[in-house]
Amino acid sequence: MTMEQIIALPWRRKADWRESLPGKLKKIEKGPISIDSKDWLLRCRDLTKIKSLLEKSGLNLQRIHSLIPETIVSASALGIQTQLIVEQEVQKNQKTETAQSSQISPTIYFHHGTLRSGEHLESEGDVLLLGDVNPGAHISADGDVMIWGKLRGTAHAGKSGNQKAKIAALQLRPLQLRIANQVARGPEEKPENGFAEEALIASGNIVIQPAST
Amino acid sequence: MATNTRIILICSGKGGVGKTTLTANLGIALARQGVRTAVLDADFGLRNLDLLLGLENRIVYTAQEVLEESCRLDQALVKHKQEPNLALLPAGNPRMLDWLKPDDMQRIVAMVAEQFDYVLIDCPAGVEDGFKNAVSASKEAIVVTNPEVSAVRDADRVIGLLNTHEIKPVHLVLNRVRPKMIASQEMLSVDDVTDILALPLLGLVLEDEQVIVSTNRGEPLTLTGSNSPAARCYSNIAKRMQGEDIPLIDPAKEGSGMRDKFRRLMQTKIF
Repeated sequence: MTMEQIIALPWRRKADWRESLPGKLKKIEKGPISIDSKDWLLRCRDLTKIKSLLEKSGLNLQRIHSLIPETIVSASALGIQTQLIVEQEVQKNQKTETAQSSQISPTIYFHHGTLRSGEHLESEGDVLLLGDVNPGAHISADGDVMIWGKLRGTAHAGKSGNQKAKIAALQLRPLQLRIANQVARGPEEKPENGFAEEALIASGNIVIQPAST
Repeated sequence: MATNTRIILICSGKGGVGKTTLTANLGIALARQGVRTAVLDADFGLRNLDLLLGLENRIVYTAQEVLEESCRLDQALVKHKQEPNLALLPAGNPRMLDWLKPDDMQRIVAMVAEQFDYVLIDCPAGVEDGFKNAVSASKEAIVVTNPEVSAVRDADRVIGLLNTHEIKPVHLVLNRVRPKMIASQEMLSVDDVTDILALPLLGLVLEDEQVIVSTNRGEPLTLTGSNSPAARCYSNIAKRMQGEDIPLIDPAKEGSGMRDKFRRLMQTKIF
């Protein structure tokens, strides 16, 4: 099997990808390719531009790696495979990049904005979402899923099998909850407003209780 | 290009919620207020904006010929017979779908925008190529939805896509509202819908049988000066787009007064 080819865009404060990308394309063999877009916020327009640039060199854009969730959402809207990279991983791989100091614990991934129907946010570590998860949207994490807003879509905590993972939301009325390999439908009756709740596994089943922590 | 031309996409995701009807009625209502308005049918596969406006038999050239440069833009633009401020740019034939690209759409919209204050783009249903072409040429958007779970879900998906294309601002029009069904909790309420979609509400349109009548005649309600509920709603939306401050109707109070009952009775055709 051939190695997956990756082109890495430069960090935003170092150089502009628009200038450096065309030069990099010359050294790459034809075929499928992934782009590591680092901390660039790429909209559909930028991504379409990148895609056509690649196609001119006979390359086929397969996957986007990014640190920025908005880029991931744009890319999936265009039907490109995506991978969100969390900060921790970056620091591990790129020790030279220590100038990027983040105050938040690196295992928590923070996203600001509402997830709308058809959107999917996936993260390693815990995820904290400031906004709503609408019906038809999907949020998943290896650790806990915390939502400062209404959860009305599907949430999956501990997706790699962590039985102790939790799902918490200001208003918990999901279509479906998943923790590790357990699946539960959301409650039929609407919960009262104003009480944050959390879901966790107790004696083998997913239960919902008032948020304790 | 006139820089202050407002290029507005009218979209919904789901089909049959009233995009084309809204486009036709808003086009007429805006034109009646004296602004130069163009309506553009981006639904190349299943075009019927021309039908609703009663302009089907006047079409000679379409967007397709303009893009192929086999005719001039002003030859393809169909002026409305009663409202000279309104012009329709018809969609080409369905085979055009295969080769139409976002660039073509941007080109033609830029051409139309030079001559008009408003360009309303009637978007096809779905989120595939037709939608992507239409979005690429638009600056702002009106999302139309009905108070139904499936229409709201599709609208939500479309709003997400509009956000990734940097379309701003995006407004909401809630169509086919039935006050009685909302009161008896058989239909999603206005709050239920705005709670999920989180968009500023540009207007409500009440369910109205007259819409069907006017569609079949090819005379939008706003053209005939009808005082039916939907006609009032459409002209209020057009006024709000022009910056007038008109309060939203309250579905709970609509249709319960003696006057409304009488008006309904008068509009019912017995024979």
